[in-house]
Amino acid sequence: MDTPSQDRPIKAIHPRWQELSFTAKRFFKNPLSTIGLAILALFLIIAILAPVICPPKYPDPYKIPHAGWQIQPSPPSAGHIFGTTEEQYDLLYGIVWGTRSAFRIGILVVGANLIIGILLGAIAGYFGGLVDEILMRITDVFYSIPYLVMAMALVVAIGRGLTAVIIVMIILEWPAYTRILRSDILVIRNKEYIMAARASGSSHFKIILKHILPNAMYSVLILASMNIGATILTAAALSFLGLGSQTGTADWGQIVSLCRNWIVGLPGHPFAFWYTVFIPGFVITLFVLGWNLLGDAVRDVFDPKLRRK
Amino acid sequence: MTAQHLVETSDLSTNFYTFEGIVRALNNIALVVNQGETYGIVGESGCGKSVTVRSMMRIVQTPGRIDGGSIVMYLNPEDKQKGIEILDRSEVYMSSIRGKDISMIFQEPGAALNPVLSIEQQIAESYQFHRMGEMLGLTISRLQAEAPSSGPAKIWNDVRLGLLKRELEAYEAHDTLIRTIDNELYRLEDASDQASISRKRELNHERDRPVRTSLLVDFVRRIPFLRRYRHPLERTISTEVVDLLRSLGIPNPENIAKRYPHELSGGMQQRIVIAIALACHPTLLIADEPTSNLDVTIQAQIVDLIRELKKTKISSVVFITHDLGLVAEICDRVTVMYAGDVAETATVKELFRNPLHPYARGLLEAVPKETQEGELTIIPGAVPNLIRPPSGCRFHPRCKMKMDICEREKPETIEREPGHFVACHLYTKDASK
Amino acid sequence: MILVLAGVSILVFSVMMILPPGQRLAAYVTSERVTPEQMNAMIAKYHLNDPAPIQYVRWLGNILTGQFGFSVTAKEPVIKAFDDYFPTTLELVLYSTPLIILVGVWLGTLGAVRKDSPADHFTRVFAIVGYSLPTFWLGLLLIMFFYGFVGIFPPGVLSNSIRNVVTSTGFHRYTHLVTIDAILNWRWDVFLDGLYHIFLPALNLVIINSAMIMRLMRSSMLESLGQDYMMTARAKGADAKTLYKRHARRNALLPVITVSGLTLAGLMGGMVITETIFNRTGIGWWMAEAATQLDVSAIMFNVLFLGVIYVVINLIVDIIYAYVDPRVRLG
Repeated sequence: MDTPSQDRPIKAIHPRWQELSFTAKRFFKNPLSTIGLAILALFLIIAILAPVICPPKYPDPYKIPHAGWQIQPSPPSAGHIFGTTEEQYDLLYGIVWGTRSAFRIGILVVGANLIIGILLGAIAGYFGGLVDEILMRITDVFYSIPYLVMAMALVVAIGRGLTAVIIVMIILEWPAYTRILRSDILVIRNKEYIMAARASGSSHFKIILKHILPNAMYSVLILASMNIGATILTAAALSFLGLGSQTGTADWGQIVSLCRNWIVGLPGHPFAFWYTVFIPGFVITLFVLGWNLLGDAVRDVFDPKLRRK
Repeated sequence: MTAQHLVETSDLSTNFYTFEGIVRALNNIALVVNQGETYGIVGESGCGKSVTVRSMMRIVQTPGRIDGGSIVMYLNPEDKQKGIEILDRSEVYMSSIRGKDISMIFQEPGAALNPVLSIEQQIAESYQFHRMGEMLGLTISRLQAEAPSSGPAKIWNDVRLGLLKRELEAYEAHDTLIRTIDNELYRLEDASDQASISRKRELNHERDRPVRTSLLVDFVRRIPFLRRYRHPLERTISTEVVDLLRSLGIPNPENIAKRYPHELSGGMQQRIVIAIALACHPTLLIADEPTSNLDVTIQAQIVDLIRELKKTKISSVVFITHDLGLVAEICDRVTVMYAGDVAETATVKELFRNPLHPYARGLLEAVPKETQEGELTIIPGAVPNLIRPPSGCRFHPRCKMKMDICEREKPETIEREPGHFVACHLYTKDASK
Repeated sequence: MILVLAGVSILVFSVMMILPPGQRLAAYVTSERVTPEQMNAMIAKYHLNDPAPIQYVRWLGNILTGQFGFSVTAKEPVIKAFDDYFPTTLELVLYSTPLIILVGVWLGTLGAVRKDSPADHFTRVFAIVGYSLPTFWLGLLLIMFFYGFVGIFPPGVLSNSIRNVVTSTGFHRYTHLVTIDAILNWRWDVFLDGLYHIFLPALNLVIINSAMIMRLMRSSMLESLGQDYMMTARAKGADAKTLYKRHARRNALLPVITVSGLTLAGLMGGMVITETIFNRTGIGWWMAEAATQLDVSAIMFNVLFLGVIYVVINLIVDIIYAYVDPRVRLG
């Protein structure tokens, strides 16, 4: 259908490159995805420049410095642009270095989940049979477990801290990735080009690598990009409950938990300490929003059904 | 004897506004369908056959839009010479003629049927949209005939009858109103002075108002338990549905009616689609490649069915296909379309005897014949991209008889012989012939 | 299904086995003070040093005969604690879930039907922001505004005066759900007070959870509207209302059913944050305490309970789905 009329010369463009530029164009056509990317870029810059914006005071850069020892938070002022929260932890420092924590958690958890999910999903989907059955029963079990309750228990059992949170989240989330990849593989496995590859004698490994994975990747990538946001929210929730890092660490959820005593403000001044509540939470929301917008854009671009609209 | 027109399109343009550009699907085309004939439209995939008939019914999918021209339909039962410009009418008006005066059957019957509704429910819808008054009347007579003489059963029956009669009154009042309005609109159809135009607008607005039943009926209809008063009505419609299925030759119709689309075979599904289309005795049936997705044997059955129906129930059929054999079998007249243009229009006999347009000629030559020897003839090239269509005559890049003028100017349609139209520069040069 | 539950139990059990016997002992003691000798004696008595599989079998036996142990955080047997805390959670779930589904479906349909209109853009923005909000933050903001500033909708389950009414002998607690009991006892002040305290947490849950359903409904509806049977319905002469309600929406609701079930199941387990912030003593709040103090028996009971709930809800969803979608029915 795309035969150009005889007036225009046919340019020889490699199909992969054409697809890429088509994808990029579609991606940026939606203003929301550009906004999402811009938000993430902003956070990335802040994360990278953290030591410059807020030079660390302690050997562990994630420990927020105290501006004093008063318990009551103090409002934004010259030295502390965002003010300080309970026990005078500087909010700006917490937010800036918290960006690094947030990126770390999101990328580590989702990255590990992707790898595990792809490996196990590919094995289950491609080889089928008993292996598949067992793996599916295992994922069923994991699906039935209440996430938050289990996460809390596990984190406490292992020993609190951000590393524990990361490990626990990986343990609890890999089933979802495995299942998505597996169901995609089941669909692709029966397609004709796979049978053609088998008929021409490729080994199993090569088939998986060259033919199946590139086509099955879409769904799981969409899941990953849409899931990063939720992952970060859950990690923040765990930190908020006190299961993540210790008090005074630069972790957004942690910082929010410090505001709980101050949300009703002072008598006559209900919003006296608004900055302790609003600022860290807003930053979390913005960050997650950026990832969600990105995830939406990825899905819109890669979903084969919507692609040629 | 000039045949009476049923549908006349002239200068019709439909475009699709897509991400990649504007697809010029119909390029100022003109077609005439006469009453009582089977009219075929042939062409390759993508040439605009479906878009044409969808434009006629005004069900072009977004992002498509009818951007110009006129479509006149002669649907007035009293005066068949009086046509109406349907591009001027409202969507409500179109809803009222779709399914009732014009019906359509589609290429993929499986996809055309709603998977979560039963066959009965889907056919009953046609009755509910267009023949409600009649169904109510039948139900009321039946209930009156079977009325119990005394006791609580009689009371309930009286209540039912009362409510149903109220509904019938509303429908009859609405029908009378519509008829009065339509008569006046027919009279004013060609008037173009200011007073008439505003009067027409007023009338159309009035016509669009929904049927108003009394508040009582509306209220009772919403209460789940009391809604049961409508059960006899539903039963009447059920019986009609089963009769309809039986008349189409579907075996065991009561059973089939209760089933769901995915439980039926492709041929059966297509029969159901036909049943839906026929429920309200349309004047025109449009068949958009109804057999392209079916086995050859089933195809023959469906074609026979349509031929039968044409004799008894339907007045005219528009049959779209890419299969010239089918055209030869059932059509009276045929139009050959190419890339959004009408290439040639003639009676079937004329076209097969003397194809004038190079494209039509190419199509006919491409069909393998009994005495075929050697390679099959093909038309070189491929269907053009309609976002940037070829200039002038859209067929010129593939035409063996191409002349210079073909690249520059779009050829006019001329009537080469009575009833035989062609749009090609080969014939416009000596128009005096 | 049984297999899944067994798997859950094994998983939970093995997690708990990570802990040393001393901590696991807490499930068996009924008072707080134990001497080291008593501890060792009890460890031996309850076989807490036996190999894991044997302990598992014994624990399983206990569970199946209804002995769930003692909760350290609640300071009473697990069963009794559950009885006390579950109704509070259940009440909130019962109020939130229908609202979540209704709001999500309504806004999603609206967005799809009026695609690209201002209404559509607004609902989409609302959805994606709602999706990005941390539950705890929204809750804190709501409290700060409504309670701190305006002075209404306090946290907690009931105000003190009403609580006295509820615990008095004249008040019959049929269901232990405050609002329902209030109606059954014909005490409207209790009813209103209950609602007064439920409003804010329910609002919190609705905003966050309806976002997902809204997005799903919108895309499902858009897909439904593009199907061929919509064309047939139009060709039949269907009016706009019938087109949307009977044809598009019915098909579009199918995936939403599954997700609604999952949301419901997730709500039961995910109440932790909401209950902690709004000071509602339900099982979520209990679990927060139990997890931080490693109250083994409480955690195990709840995980099992929620696992059962999940399986049951999935079963119900499957049945409903088969009822609504004829393609799925057997035979």
